[in-house]
Amino acid sequence: MRIEGVAREQTEFVAFYEASRDVCLRAVAASVADRQLAEDLVAEAFARALTSWRDVSRHPAPRAWVVRTALNARVSWWRKRRREIPLADHDVATADPPGDRLDTTVIAALRRLPARQREVITLRALLDLDTETTAKVLGVAPGTVMTHMSRAVIALRRELEQPNTPTTMEATK
Amino acid sequence: MNDNDVLDQVRESVSGLSMHTPVEAIRAKARARRRRRISGLAAGGVATVVAVAGLFAVIGGRDTGSPANPGVARLAAFSLGGGPGGATLTLRKGAQYRLDPDALRQALAGRGIPAVVNVGSMCDSVPEPQGLDQVISSHRDADGSVFTTFDVAAMPAGSMISIGYFPTHTEFALIEEGAPLHCSTSPNPGSPPAATGDGPHAQPVTPEQGTTP
Repeated sequence: MRIEGVAREQTEFVAFYEASRDVCLRAVAASVADRQLAEDLVAEAFARALTSWRDVSRHPAPRAWVVRTALNARVSWWRKRRREIPLADHDVATADPPGDRLDTTVIAALRRLPARQREVITLRALLDLDTETTAKVLGVAPGTVMTHMSRAVIALRRELEQPNTPTTMEATK
Repeated sequence: MNDNDVLDQVRESVSGLSMHTPVEAIRAKARARRRRRISGLAAGGVATVVAVAGLFAVIGGRDTGSPANPGVARLAAFSLGGGPGGATLTLRKGAQYRLDPDALRQALAGRGIPAVVNVGSMCDSVPEPQGLDQVISSHRDADGSVFTTFDVAAMPAGSMISIGYFPTHTEFALIEEGAPLHCSTSPNPGSPPAATGDGPHAQPVTPEQGTTP
Protein backbone atom coordinates (compact mmCIF):
# COMPACT_ATOMS: atom_id res chain seq x y z
CA MET A 1 0.00 0.00 0.00
CA ARG A 2 2.77 2.40 1.01
CA ILE A 3 4.78 1.52 -2.09
CA GLU A 4 1.80 2.38 -4.26
CA GLY A 5 1.52 5.72 -2.49
CA VAL A 6 5.18 6.52 -3.05
CA ALA A 7 4.91 5.56 -6.72
CA ARG A 8 1.87 7.79 -7.11
CA GLU A 9 3.69 10.70 -5.50
CA GLN A 10 6.65 10.19 -7.82
CA THR A 11 4.37 10.19 -10.84
CA GLU A 12 2.62 13.32 -9.63
CA PHE A 13 5.92 15.05 -9.05
CA VAL A 14 7.27 14.18 -12.50
CA ALA A 15 4.12 15.56 -14.10
CA PHE A 16 4.40 18.70 -12.01
CA TYR A 17 8.07 19.11 -12.91
CA GLU A 18 7.52 18.69 -16.63
CA ALA A 19 4.63 21.13 -16.64
CA SER A 20 6.22 23.75 -14.40
CA ARG A 21 9.96 23.80 -14.89
CA ASP A 22 10.12 26.33 -17.73
CA VAL A 23 7.66 28.67 -16.08
CA CYS A 24 9.55 28.54 -12.79
CA LEU A 25 12.88 29.04 -14.56
CA ARG A 26 11.57 32.15 -16.29
CA ALA A 27 10.22 33.59 -13.07
CA VAL A 28 13.50 33.07 -11.24
CA ALA A 29 15.61 34.25 -14.18
CA ALA A 30 13.64 37.48 -14.21
CA SER A 31 14.80 38.11 -10.66
CA VAL A 32 18.40 36.92 -10.73
CA ALA A 33 19.26 37.96 -14.32
CA ASP A 34 21.50 34.95 -14.84
CA ARG A 35 20.21 32.03 -16.84
CA GLN A 36 22.52 29.36 -15.45
CA LEU A 37 22.19 30.56 -11.90
CA ALA A 38 18.41 30.50 -12.32
CA GLU A 39 18.57 26.91 -13.54
CA ASP A 40 20.71 25.88 -10.56
CA LEU A 41 18.35 27.58 -8.14
CA VAL A 42 15.23 26.11 -9.67
CA ALA A 43 16.73 22.62 -9.80
CA GLU A 44 17.55 22.83 -6.11
CA ALA A 45 14.09 24.15 -5.32
CA PHE A 46 12.44 21.28 -7.21
CA ALA A 47 14.64 18.82 -5.31
CA ARG A 48 13.42 20.33 -2.07
CA ALA A 49 9.87 20.13 -3.39
CA LEU A 50 10.34 16.44 -4.08
CA THR A 51 11.63 15.73 -0.58
CA SER A 52 8.54 17.46 0.83
CA TRP A 53 6.16 16.64 -1.99
CA ARG A 54 3.30 15.66 0.24
CA ASP A 55 3.21 19.17 1.70
CA VAL A 56 4.16 21.06 -1.44
CA SER A 57 1.49 19.34 -3.50
CA ARG A 58 -1.12 20.72 -1.10
CA HIS A 59 0.25 24.25 -1.30
CA PRO A 60 -2.18 26.75 -2.86
CA ALA A 61 0.37 27.44 -5.61
CA PRO A 62 3.14 24.83 -5.81
CA ARG A 63 4.89 26.72 -8.61
CA ALA A 64 5.07 29.79 -6.42
CA TRP A 65 6.51 27.61 -3.64
CA VAL A 66 9.27 26.49 -6.00
CA VAL A 67 10.02 30.03 -7.17
CA ARG A 68 10.15 31.46 -3.68
CA THR A 69 12.29 28.56 -2.46
CA ALA A 70 14.66 29.08 -5.36
CA LEU A 71 15.02 32.77 -4.66
CA ASN A 72 15.52 32.14 -0.96
CA ALA A 73 18.28 29.62 -1.63
CA ARG A 74 20.61 32.50 -2.35
CA VAL A 75 23.02 30.72 -4.60
CA SER A 76 24.57 34.06 -5.46
CA TRP A 77 25.76 34.17 -1.87
CA TRP A 78 27.19 30.70 -2.30
CA ARG A 79 28.94 31.38 -5.58
CA LYS A 80 30.79 34.40 -4.30
CA ARG A 81 32.58 32.22 -1.82
CA ARG A 82 33.39 29.15 -3.82
CA ARG A 83 36.20 28.69 -6.26
CA GLU A 84 35.91 26.14 -8.97
CA ILE A 85 38.90 25.20 -11.08
CA PRO A 86 38.08 23.14 -14.14
CA LEU A 87 40.92 21.18 -15.66
CA ALA A 88 42.31 21.78 -19.08
CA ASP A 89 41.44 18.29 -20.23
CA HIS A 90 37.91 18.61 -18.99
CA ASP A 91 37.10 22.21 -19.89
CA VAL A 92 33.67 22.35 -21.36
CA ALA A 93 32.18 25.33 -23.10
CA THR A 94 28.79 25.93 -21.56
CA ALA A 95 27.26 28.41 -23.92
CA ASP A 96 23.57 28.98 -23.52
CA PRO A 97 21.49 27.10 -26.06
CA PRO A 98 20.02 29.19 -28.87
CA GLY A 99 16.99 31.07 -27.69
CA ASP A 100 18.06 31.05 -24.06
CA ARG A 101 18.47 34.78 -23.94
CA LEU A 102 17.27 37.36 -21.50
CA ASP A 103 16.08 40.79 -22.54
CA THR A 104 18.42 42.78 -20.36
CA THR A 105 16.43 45.99 -20.78
CA VAL A 106 13.39 44.50 -19.11
CA ILE A 107 15.41 42.47 -16.62
CA ALA A 108 17.34 45.55 -15.53
CA ALA A 109 14.07 47.40 -15.06
CA LEU A 110 12.68 44.53 -13.01
CA ARG A 111 15.76 44.43 -10.82
CA ARG A 112 15.39 48.11 -10.02
CA LEU A 113 11.96 47.49 -8.53
CA PRO A 114 11.63 47.08 -4.75
CA ALA A 115 11.79 43.39 -3.88
CA ARG A 116 8.13 43.08 -2.97
CA GLN A 117 6.96 44.73 -6.19
CA ARG A 118 9.23 42.47 -8.21
CA GLU A 119 7.88 39.44 -6.39
CA VAL A 120 4.29 40.46 -7.06
CA ILE A 121 4.87 41.07 -10.74
CA THR A 122 6.73 37.77 -11.05
CA LEU A 123 3.90 35.82 -9.48
CA ARG A 124 1.18 37.66 -11.35
CA ALA A 125 2.75 38.06 -14.79
CA LEU A 126 5.00 35.01 -15.07
CA LEU A 127 3.18 32.43 -12.97
CA ASP A 128 -0.27 33.75 -13.88
CA LEU A 129 -1.45 33.72 -10.28
CA ASP A 130 -4.57 35.71 -9.50
CA THR A 131 -4.59 38.42 -6.87
CA GLU A 132 -6.11 36.19 -4.19
CA THR A 133 -3.57 33.40 -4.60
CA THR A 134 -0.69 35.86 -4.80
CA ALA A 135 -1.87 37.39 -1.55
CA LYS A 136 -2.02 33.94 0.10
CA VAL A 137 1.45 33.03 -1.12
CA LEU A 138 2.96 36.28 0.12
CA GLY A 139 0.91 36.39 3.31
CA VAL A 140 -0.48 39.84 2.61
CA ALA A 141 -3.89 41.29 1.89
CA PRO A 142 -5.23 41.27 -1.69
CA GLY A 143 -5.32 45.07 -1.59
CA THR A 144 -1.60 45.12 -0.85
CA VAL A 145 -0.95 42.92 -3.86
CA MET A 146 -2.94 45.27 -6.08
CA THR A 147 -1.04 48.28 -4.77
CA HIS A 148 2.35 46.66 -5.39
CA MET A 149 1.25 45.53 -8.83
CA SER A 150 0.07 48.98 -9.80
CA ARG A 151 3.26 50.65 -8.61
CA ALA A 152 5.42 48.05 -10.32
CA VAL A 153 3.69 48.51 -13.66
CA ILE A 154 4.00 52.30 -13.45
CA ALA A 155 7.70 52.04 -12.63
CA LEU A 156 8.34 49.52 -15.41
CA ARG A 157 6.49 51.59 -17.96
CA ARG A 158 8.54 54.62 -17.06
CA GLU A 159 11.77 52.64 -17.43
CA LEU A 160 10.82 50.89 -20.64
CA GLU A 161 9.69 54.06 -22.37
CA GLN A 162 13.09 55.66 -21.88
CA PRO A 163 14.96 55.59 -25.19
CA ASN A 164 18.52 55.09 -23.84
CA THR A 165 18.22 51.55 -22.62
CA PRO A 166 20.53 48.66 -23.51
CA THR A 167 19.55 46.24 -26.23
CA THR A 168 18.84 42.55 -25.92
CA MET A 169 21.95 40.54 -25.23
CA GLU A 170 23.01 37.20 -23.90
CA ALA A 171 22.18 36.46 -20.33
CA THR A 172 24.82 37.44 -17.82
CA LYS A 173 27.17 34.79 -16.57
CA MET B 1 2.18 51.71 -23.58
CA ASN B 2 -0.70 50.36 -21.48
CA ASP B 3 -0.54 47.95 -18.55
CA ASN B 4 -0.93 44.89 -20.74
CA ASP B 5 1.91 46.02 -22.97
CA VAL B 6 4.17 46.29 -19.94
CA LEU B 7 3.24 42.82 -18.73
CA ASP B 8 3.66 41.40 -22.22
CA GLN B 9 7.17 42.83 -22.34
CA VAL B 10 7.96 41.21 -18.99
CA ARG B 11 6.75 37.85 -20.28
CA GLU B 12 8.55 38.28 -23.56
CA SER B 13 11.84 39.09 -21.83
CA VAL B 14 12.19 35.51 -20.57
CA SER B 15 9.97 33.65 -22.99
CA GLY B 16 12.86 31.95 -24.75
CA LEU B 17 14.15 30.23 -21.64
CA SER B 18 13.62 26.55 -21.06
CA MET B 19 15.00 24.35 -18.33
CA HIS B 20 17.36 21.60 -19.39
CA THR B 21 17.86 19.75 -16.10
CA PRO B 22 16.33 16.28 -16.47
CA VAL B 23 14.01 15.02 -13.79
CA GLU B 24 16.55 12.30 -12.95
CA ALA B 25 18.96 15.01 -11.82
CA ILE B 26 16.26 16.48 -9.60
CA ARG B 27 15.67 13.05 -8.08
CA ALA B 28 19.40 12.65 -7.47
CA LYS B 29 19.52 15.99 -5.69
CA ALA B 30 16.54 14.99 -3.59
CA ARG B 31 18.21 11.70 -2.70
CA ALA B 32 21.35 13.59 -1.66
CA ARG B 33 19.27 15.80 0.59
CA ARG B 34 17.68 12.75 2.21
CA ARG B 35 21.13 11.20 2.69
CA ARG B 36 22.27 14.30 4.53
CA ARG B 37 19.33 14.03 6.85
CA ILE B 38 19.94 10.34 7.46
CA SER B 39 23.67 10.78 8.04
CA GLY B 40 22.93 13.55 10.51
CA LEU B 41 20.71 11.23 12.51
CA ALA B 42 23.19 8.36 12.41
CA ALA B 43 26.35 10.42 12.86
CA GLY B 44 27.70 8.28 15.73
CA GLY B 45 27.48 5.03 13.83
CA VAL B 46 28.98 6.50 10.70
CA ALA B 47 31.89 8.00 12.61
CA THR B 48 32.69 4.62 14.15
CA VAL B 49 32.72 2.86 10.82
CA VAL B 50 34.89 5.54 9.26
CA ALA B 51 37.36 5.42 12.14
CA VAL B 52 37.73 1.66 11.82
CA ALA B 53 38.12 1.94 8.05
CA GLY B 54 40.77 4.60 8.57
CA LEU B 55 42.69 2.30 10.92
CA PHE B 56 42.78 -0.46 8.33
CA ALA B 57 43.89 2.06 5.73
CA VAL B 58 46.83 3.14 7.88
CA ILE B 59 47.87 -0.43 8.53
CA GLY B 60 47.48 -1.47 4.92
CA GLY B 61 49.09 1.56 3.38
CA ARG B 62 47.03 4.02 1.42
CA ASP B 63 48.88 4.88 -1.75
CA THR B 64 49.90 1.51 -2.99
CA GLY B 65 47.08 0.65 -5.31
CA SER B 66 43.39 0.66 -5.94
CA PRO B 67 41.07 -2.03 -4.62
CA ALA B 68 39.71 -2.68 -8.09
CA ASN B 69 43.16 -3.02 -9.64
CA PRO B 70 45.51 -4.10 -6.87
CA GLY B 71 48.46 -4.34 -9.19
CA VAL B 72 48.18 -0.79 -10.50
CA ALA B 73 50.24 1.79 -8.64
CA ARG B 74 48.69 5.22 -8.10
CA LEU B 75 50.56 8.48 -8.06
CA ALA B 76 50.05 11.13 -5.41
CA ALA B 77 47.61 13.71 -6.70
CA PHE B 78 49.07 16.68 -4.87
CA SER B 79 52.30 18.36 -4.01
CA LEU B 80 52.76 21.21 -1.60
CA GLY B 81 55.48 23.83 -1.62
CA GLY B 82 56.02 27.42 -0.51
CA GLY B 83 57.51 29.14 2.52
CA PRO B 84 56.32 30.29 5.94
CA GLY B 85 53.05 32.14 5.86
CA GLY B 86 51.90 30.56 2.67
CA ALA B 87 51.74 27.42 0.59
CA THR B 88 51.39 26.48 -3.04
CA LEU B 89 49.28 23.42 -3.68
CA THR B 90 49.49 21.60 -6.99
CA LEU B 91 46.63 19.24 -7.79
CA ARG B 92 46.62 16.70 -10.57
CA LYS B 93 43.69 14.79 -12.02
CA GLY B 94 43.44 11.58 -13.93
CA ALA B 95 43.03 7.86 -13.46
CA GLN B 96 46.68 7.47 -12.50
CA TYR B 97 46.36 9.86 -9.56
CA ARG B 98 44.84 9.25 -6.20
CA LEU B 99 44.32 11.95 -3.61
CA ASP B 100 44.89 10.89 -0.04
CA PRO B 101 42.78 13.43 1.87
CA ASP B 102 44.50 12.73 5.18
CA ALA B 103 47.92 13.25 3.70
CA LEU B 104 46.86 16.55 2.15
CA ARG B 105 45.20 17.67 5.36
CA GLN B 106 48.33 16.87 7.35
CA ALA B 107 50.57 18.59 4.83
CA LEU B 108 48.43 21.73 4.93
CA ALA B 109 48.37 21.63 8.73
CA GLY B 110 52.15 21.55 8.65
CA ARG B 111 52.00 24.88 6.82
CA GLY B 112 49.62 26.32 9.37
CA ILE B 113 46.53 25.81 7.22
CA PRO B 114 43.73 23.92 8.97
CA ALA B 115 41.68 22.13 6.36
CA VAL B 116 38.83 19.73 5.77
CA VAL B 117 39.56 17.64 2.69
CA ASN B 118 37.07 15.42 0.92
CA VAL B 119 37.25 13.35 -2.22
CA GLY B 120 34.00 13.33 -4.18
CA SER B 121 32.19 15.66 -1.82
CA MET B 122 32.37 19.21 -0.60
CA CYS B 123 31.56 20.69 2.78
CA ASP B 124 30.51 24.23 3.62
CA SER B 125 29.62 25.87 6.88
CA VAL B 126 26.89 28.26 7.80
CA PRO B 127 27.92 30.89 8.63
CA GLU B 128 30.77 31.02 6.18
CA PRO B 129 33.72 33.35 6.78
CA GLN B 130 34.34 36.15 4.29
CA GLY B 131 37.52 36.68 2.35
CA LEU B 132 38.18 33.58 0.25
CA ASP B 133 39.50 35.78 -2.55
CA GLN B 134 42.19 37.14 -0.24
CA VAL B 135 43.20 33.69 0.96
CA ILE B 136 43.26 31.71 -2.26
CA SER B 137 44.54 32.48 -5.70
CA SER B 138 45.06 30.01 -8.49
CA HIS B 139 46.30 29.66 -12.02
CA ARG B 140 46.72 26.87 -14.53
CA ASP B 141 50.04 26.10 -16.15
CA ALA B 142 50.48 25.30 -19.82
CA ASP B 143 50.67 21.59 -19.04
CA GLY B 144 47.30 21.71 -17.33
CA SER B 145 48.56 21.57 -13.76
CA VAL B 146 46.53 23.78 -11.43
CA PHE B 147 48.43 25.77 -8.82
CA THR B 148 46.55 27.09 -5.83
CA THR B 149 48.29 29.49 -3.47
CA PHE B 150 47.15 30.02 0.11
CA ASP B 151 47.94 33.15 2.08
CA VAL B 152 47.77 32.03 5.68
CA ALA B 153 47.93 35.57 7.04
CA ALA B 154 44.74 36.45 5.18
CA MET B 155 42.72 33.65 6.76
CA PRO B 156 40.11 35.02 9.17
CA ALA B 157 40.57 33.93 12.77
CA GLY B 158 38.82 30.64 13.47
CA SER B 159 38.49 29.74 9.81
CA MET B 160 39.53 26.63 7.93
CA ILE B 161 39.85 25.74 4.27
CA SER B 162 37.39 23.23 2.87
CA ILE B 163 38.57 21.35 -0.20
CA GLY B 164 36.36 19.17 -2.37
CA TYR B 165 38.31 17.09 -4.87
CA PHE B 166 36.18 15.91 -7.79
CA PRO B 167 37.21 14.06 -10.94
CA THR B 168 36.94 17.13 -13.14
CA HIS B 169 37.55 20.03 -10.78
CA THR B 170 38.37 21.08 -7.26
CA GLU B 171 36.29 23.33 -5.05
CA PHE B 172 37.49 25.52 -2.21
CA ALA B 173 35.64 27.40 0.49
CA LEU B 174 36.34 29.00 3.82
CA ILE B 175 34.50 27.38 6.69
CA GLU B 176 34.14 28.34 10.30
CA GLU B 177 35.79 26.03 12.79
CA GLY B 178 33.18 24.32 14.94
CA ALA B 179 30.25 25.41 12.78
CA PRO B 180 27.82 22.81 11.37
CA LEU B 181 29.02 21.50 8.03
CA HIS B 182 26.82 20.96 5.02
CA CYS B 183 28.37 18.39 2.74
CA SER B 184 27.24 17.41 -0.71
CA THR B 185 28.42 14.83 -3.15
CA SER B 186 27.09 16.91 -6.03
CA PRO B 187 29.85 18.68 -7.93
CA ASN B 188 27.32 21.19 -9.13
CA PRO B 189 28.62 24.63 -8.11
CA GLY B 190 25.13 25.96 -8.19
CA SER B 191 23.84 23.75 -5.45
CA PRO B 192 23.11 25.91 -2.47
CA PRO B 193 23.90 24.72 1.04
CA ALA B 194 21.24 22.83 2.90
CA ALA B 195 18.96 25.06 4.88
CA THR B 196 18.92 22.76 7.87
CA GLY B 197 21.60 22.49 10.49
CA ASP B 198 22.14 18.77 10.20
CA GLY B 199 25.46 17.14 9.41
CA PRO B 200 28.88 17.16 11.04
CA HIS B 201 30.82 20.08 12.49
CA ALA B 202 34.02 21.71 11.29
CA GLN B 203 36.85 20.38 13.40
CA PRO B 204 40.46 19.78 12.52
CA VAL B 205 40.46 16.04 11.88
CA THR B 206 43.34 13.76 12.69
CA PRO B 207 44.17 10.88 10.34
CA GLU B 208 42.97 8.42 12.97
CA GLN B 209 39.50 9.91 12.71
CA GLY B 210 39.19 8.93 9.08
CA THR B 211 38.66 10.86 5.92
CA THR B 212 35.17 12.21 6.37
CA PRO B 213 34.79 15.23 8.62
